Amino acid sequence: MLNILVCVKQIPDVDLVKMDPETGNLVRAGVPTLTNPLDLNALEAAVRVKERFGGKITLITMGPPAAEETLRECLAVGGDEAVLITGRPFGGADTLSTSYTIVKAAEALGAFDLIFAGKETLDGATGQMASQLAERFDASQISCCFTIEDIADGKIRATRTLETGRETVEATLPCLITVEKDNFYGRLPNLKAYLEAKTAPITTFTENNLPGLDMQKIGVPGSGTIVPKIYPPELPEPGQMIRTGSVKTDVNRLVELLAEREAI
Amino acid sequence: MPSYNKITPAIAERLRACVSPGRFFLGEEVDPNYAHDEMPIYGKFMPEAAVDVETTEEVSAVMKICAENKIPVTCRGAGTGLVGGCVPLQGGLVLCTRRMDKILEYDMDNLTVRVQPGVLLKDLAADALTHGLMYPPDPGEKTATVGGNISTNAGGMRAVKYGVTRDYVLALTVVLADGRIVELGKSVCKTSSGYSLLHLMVGSEGTLGIITEMTMKLIPNPICDVSCLVPFRDVESCIHFVPKIKMANLDPQSIEFMDADIVTSSAAFTGNPIFPETVNNTEVGASVLVTFVGADADELDQKMVKLGQIADEAGALDVLVVATTSNKKAAWSARSSFLTAIEADTKLIDEMDVVVPVDKIPAFLIYIRSLGEQNGIRIRNFGHAGDGNLHIYCCSNDLEEDEFKRRVKIIMDAAYTKCAELEGQVSGEHSIGHAKMVYLRESVGEDVFALMGEIKKVFDPDFILNPGKVCDMEGLPC
Repeated sequence: MLNILVCVKQIPDVDLVKMDPETGNLVRAGVPTLTNPLDLNALEAAVRVKERFGGKITLITMGPPAAEETLRECLAVGGDEAVLITGRPFGGADTLSTSYTIVKAAEALGAFDLIFAGKETLDGATGQMASQLAERFDASQISCCFTIEDIADGKIRATRTLETGRETVEATLPCLITVEKDNFYGRLPNLKAYLEAKTAPITTFTENNLPGLDMQKIGVPGSGTIVPKIYPPELPEPGQMIRTGSVKTDVNRLVELLAEREAI
Repeated sequence: MPSYNKITPAIAERLRACVSPGRFFLGEEVDPNYAHDEMPIYGKFMPEAAVDVETTEEVSAVMKICAENKIPVTCRGAGTGLVGGCVPLQGGLVLCTRRMDKILEYDMDNLTVRVQPGVLLKDLAADALTHGLMYPPDPGEKTATVGGNISTNAGGMRAVKYGVTRDYVLALTVVLADGRIVELGKSVCKTSSGYSLLHLMVGSEGTLGIITEMTMKLIPNPICDVSCLVPFRDVESCIHFVPKIKMANLDPQSIEFMDADIVTSSAAFTGNPIFPETVNNTEVGASVLVTFVGADADELDQKMVKLGQIADEAGALDVLVVATTSNKKAAWSARSSFLTAIEADTKLIDEMDVVVPVDKIPAFLIYIRSLGEQNGIRIRNFGHAGDGNLHIYCCSNDLEEDEFKRRVKIIMDAAYTKCAELEGQVSGEHSIGHAKMVYLRESVGEDVFALMGEIKKVFDPDFILNPGKVCDMEGLPC
């Protein structure tokens, strides 16, 4: 039976996050959260592997206590167990300290044959986590996975999407996989699983019960990057809509404007 | 047939003077889109002129000139209709309310909002939400104007729980055919004060007057919601499930029906297969999407548990939950894209939106499908299962237009006859326009149709308002 780990993250609804123009901070208060959509594609790939080859899916996330919602959402669509890493010392982590923390927690859970992760999160969008995890797990990695062909004899064969076409590759287990979303749309949970997930037990790790944790490698101290300032990109001058209802009038007005700016 | 006059240069100048520069268009200046709505199969008819109005007074001034000169006037909002309702069959003037797009005032004590007719449905819905309120009518076409929705008495997906547009219109400012301005209705919860001209105006498709301002009722926005997709092997068992939902006292906000074909088209169009084509290794024949609203998650869970029980008894393949923000967005964007998805892969299209008693839906759908097969026309359908309103589309990519029209007429004639047999109505929410007038006449009978004509004559003795629509047979083009 395959032991499968799926890494997921709760993110703010990026369409609704605004930036405080004074401080440059992201205003997340009151902004609804969601599960990173690309993580749900990864989970769907894991669930299909479980359905076809057998296995157990453990979900793992690091975040505030409310990130439990994301774990329950993922339990409802095929996760078997869920692990939340939470605590103030983990806050402010970049990908370096996050990947360290995730792997420490995973080590406490056992050995995994397959690790699935979204190729990036919509809020951070670094795209670094999957490769860092593969390195720390000492696992092979298949990115841009389009289909999983077979898993047997300690190996996985999968087809990847390239810019120029597709290639089929083989890798030894353990293997970390990121997937192409178009072939792994998430499923809707059925009612029974949805309700069961609401009360399913969740294993919680904090800085106090995670074995062998080096406090200098988590949170801000463990981060290799510093974000001194966040600011919005300079936007070009907003466009002007010409819409009088008459194409002829619109075109005449456009020509006038272009002439005024000496563009024609 | 009433005789109409052309817009002479002198009349044009008077009309031009009614509005500020740049809002009156003559001849070739007129937007060619004003010749049709979203169902161009019913023909294209260009007006001689168009005017973008911004105030009630401007509309009044325009109408006085048109009444005096017997110029036909067709009112137009966003042009998203499906029955040729805003198409100027007799030429004349198109009076466009699209620039009257102001949300004027909320009354937070009485939960009402005063708006102009050109406000888009999606803008009113979004703005009301910022006040913690909901505008309950929810037609699929969100870029329609609220004025257009009133003119057609649009329904939409939430009609099962909340009713239709008519139920949310409290008061209207209307410019009559001769330019007089009248106020109909008040911001009150009930009235027993004579004939309701307010309700006569709702659904009158611009044939009795021009609506220039309205007061709409709002409700507190429900705290939380959840939807369940209930898939079945076939259409019959799916539809037979609908009354059971109602009988279980679950008070759903909407019950939307979708068959396998429309799900496939929508998935191809949106690129997101949110509605599964197979469930538990069984091919899905049809599904209903049931939405509940409530005060908290526990209340919704209880409703879902009960739904699960009756779904199981009814032979549903499963009950799938649409609870997360992402899934809700995907599900409702897929549902809202059904018509666009059909249009995207169809060259020729015609539609009907009959409403039948809920228990008669399977009989009607089976009949319409057999008609499609007999006549070589592809049928696509979806609709509001909770209220018996079905949107049925006749589609073809291969036929010549004339042949398509000939075959569709055979289907439509038979389908409306069947609809009458099943005690249904010609239109649930798209209205009559000019496309369905013949079928309305057959459906209501000569006496009622003549009464409608008499009412029209009282409001518009010279038949200048939207000729050839609803009950004005003589206004149809020769």
